[in-house]
Amino acid sequence: MIKEKVKTGVPGLDDMLEGGLIPARAYIVSGTTGSGKTTLAMQFLLEGVRQGERVVYVCLDEPPNEVKSDMRSYGWDIGRVQVFDATPDIMSYDKTPVRDVSTERRVFYFKDVPDTIRLTSERSPADMTINTLQEILKQEMKERRYTRVVIDSLTSLRYFYIRTSEENSSMMSFLRLLSDLEVTSLLTLHLPEVSKPDVEVHVARGEIRLHKWIDGRGLVRGITVEKYRGSSHDNRLRFMRITSEGVVVKPLAQEKPAKQVEGGEGDEGQDEPPAPEEDQSATAPAALQGPTVPEDIPPPPGNMPDHGGDGI
Amino acid sequence: MLRGGLIPNRPYVVCGTTGSGKTTLGIQFLHQGVRQGERALLVAIDEPPAEIRENVRALGWDVGKIRILDVHPTAKAFSKRVSLVEVAAQRSVASLKDAGSSAKTEAMKQASPDISVQSLQLMLNQELKEIRYSRVVIDSLTSLKKLSEGMDDMNNSISSLLRFLSEAKVTSLIITDLPDPTDLEPEIFICRGEIRLHKRMIANRIDRCITIEKFRGSPHDTVPRPMTLTETGIRVDAKKRIPKSSMRMLQAFTQFGR
Repeated sequence: MIKEKVKTGVPGLDDMLEGGLIPARAYIVSGTTGSGKTTLAMQFLLEGVRQGERVVYVCLDEPPNEVKSDMRSYGWDIGRVQVFDATPDIMSYDKTPVRDVSTERRVFYFKDVPDTIRLTSERSPADMTINTLQEILKQEMKERRYTRVVIDSLTSLRYFYIRTSEENSSMMSFLRLLSDLEVTSLLTLHLPEVSKPDVEVHVARGEIRLHKWIDGRGLVRGITVEKYRGSSHDNRLRFMRITSEGVVVKPLAQEKPAKQVEGGEGDEGQDEPPAPEEDQSATAPAALQGPTVPEDIPPPPGNMPDHGGDGI
Repeated sequence: MLRGGLIPNRPYVVCGTTGSGKTTLGIQFLHQGVRQGERALLVAIDEPPAEIRENVRALGWDVGKIRILDVHPTAKAFSKRVSLVEVAAQRSVASLKDAGSSAKTEAMKQASPDISVQSLQLMLNQELKEIRYSRVVIDSLTSLKKLSEGMDDMNNSISSLLRFLSEAKVTSLIITDLPDPTDLEPEIFICRGEIRLHKRMIANRIDRCITIEKFRGSPHDTVPRPMTLTETGIRVDAKKRIPKSSMRMLQAFTQFGR
């Protein structure tokens, strides 16, 4: 019998996963740019915070100060999520000796992240490799018992930290480390528009894939569980939206493919089908949207038909 | 469509096929900066500055205040390579106003620096130390990457260049060709937003539209909107929907990717 499952905190997704994720395993969240991966991953961490768990976000794509300000547009308080800033420094292209980064960078809470970008030290930029990253994570895990980890993104890890010659073996050893540490982890993976499977997907215990495509009159988003070892799951493509509440997977009963079009301004055209009634609060008609919303002020909930590609 | 504009100090990608309006959009972005009293820099790799000046003059913009970093590799093939440090010393920044009628600038005649992602970062570093630009356009990263072919660590260099621009508090537009759908370029996933320009022949007219593929940290319009290249630059009608035939083309394109 499997231990109690870990809830993802994404409305609708836990139903697809028959209750959630099996603990202490690594899962992939894949999708093209702007499909909602970072948003979904952050919802997973915030759910952990709500349950009183220790959670950590390993930042590889976007600097933490930007992630912090991005998440404010959902009105989320991510202050209690811990973050490790592994974003690559500016390269200096000359022969200054590099510092050992493990003595320089620590994990801290998002609430302590400054509003401006961390500046590369002019004298000695840090050189981070997959090995130092692995060491730091291992050390951190020993000191504090994290139960949820997000690596955002695995693609950056592959592109910026791993030499091509040892690509697959490094990647596998990294994934192995995560399962040895007994944390439930979500690893985001950027997909090109037409994708071919890679080693990560084979090694991970499951893959949640986010889709977006143009259908009839606008953008449609979908979500599938491509693989889930050790559990039954929903095999169907389900429609989802990125609302002011984050990623929301639509219940099956409401699915009408042609009508799941996300609107922006100007959506108020007469051919717009009325939104399902129980949905009105989360996805108010686009007509209510004001002409401009300053990016750093969280808009009132229910006033945002699409929150677009906050996740990469 | 962007609900007010771009978030400052972040890098964005503008991509599209040739003739889709990428450069025009880039210069329009710089022009807006100059009108607001900001300093704006165009990194010209694809076209020599004199040609750009002529092209935008036709749009009736006063672009004299846009500064231009001329890295057009005109004479490169015929002379020996110089080191990165030398390149940094030889960079030439001219105001669009001063761009001569001759395609080659003086600096270009004297030296033919090796242009690469790395040397561009070094050049920009020097330039930004002297002048505080708030908007930079790189036109185009696709060419820059082709010129840097054979360099080690291309992915890291690109990540480094974008990081450099962010740390220097610059809002940048990185112009690229339409990405190969089966391949994942690092700039596409590092950038904080992607604006895509579409141009297709439908029946016997050119059909143009614009989409926001991603925009981190802000709600945005996800509906494709019609766009026109007018005498005064690019215009997007954010209230209108694109015709059914254009939508079908886009639909076919994205469904393929699923």
